[in-house]
Amino acid sequence: MIPVNLVLGLGFVLFLIGLVGVLIRKNMVIMLMSLELLLNGVNVIFAGLGRHLNSPRGSIFALFVIVVAVSEAAVGFALILSYFRQKNTYDTDDLNELKG
Amino acid sequence: MTATLAIFLLFAGLAVVCAVQVVVQKNAMHSVLYLAFTVLAVAGVFFCLQAEYLGAIQIIVYGGGIVVLYVFVIVIVNLREVVPEKRKFVPKLVIVLTPVLLLAEVAAIVFGRAPVPASGEANGLELGAFSEALMTTYLVPFELASILLLAVLIGAVIVARRKDLHDPR
Repeated sequence: MIPVNLVLGLGFVLFLIGLVGVLIRKNMVIMLMSLELLLNGVNVIFAGLGRHLNSPRGSIFALFVIVVAVSEAAVGFALILSYFRQKNTYDTDDLNELKG
Repeated sequence: MTATLAIFLLFAGLAVVCAVQVVVQKNAMHSVLYLAFTVLAVAGVFFCLQAEYLGAIQIIVYGGGIVVLYVFVIVIVNLREVVPEKRKFVPKLVIVLTPVLLLAEVAAIVFGRAPVPASGEANGLELGAFSEALMTTYLVPFELASILLLAVLIGAVIVARRKDLHDPR
């Protein structure tokens, strides 16, 4: 039997690593990867709590999170490709066209 | 320590180590490979938690779909040179403080209290109960998910396409 505290801790740590990745990296592709890590951490928490409460809802919500993560990855890549084609860069420091 | 707990700890450690590598690697292709490791380790965690359907979906969708998509995008964008990462003081402070505070919260959750006993007899989630709930109670979100995926399909094609067939870019 796996203690629920350990599962919650693992989920939070994965979320934390993803958050750090989104904050410290300036490469757009690696920022998207960190977003995937973040959503994976949330999924671990959902699955662990579903197991703990002995309910299928945890898996169901995690399934919807996966659907949204896939959508986000697809649209994000389309945006990165489109941006790269116009500016030939993928650095977030160059994303300053809207600066006043 | 039971065997399940040992396997869970193995996969959890693997997931955390590989996740850290995803963030700290300079080369984006190495990051993608570590991301694949992380995703598969998380799938192992799902299997330990008896969420077999979720683990299978994780392997198919993440390991088979998203990781390959990342590899393709990195090849197309040709991520080779390293972007220098310099920042001013205040953003650096926020970047350091946010994870430290959240880590304190994690420690409070994991070590703060004794584990809450499970509410029911833990005999594993049945796939039948899962699919029945998905097809009855959560039918509307399930259908909305398909509409979302269709919208994403069309939107991604429109955003990423070339404006003209003979456009060299």
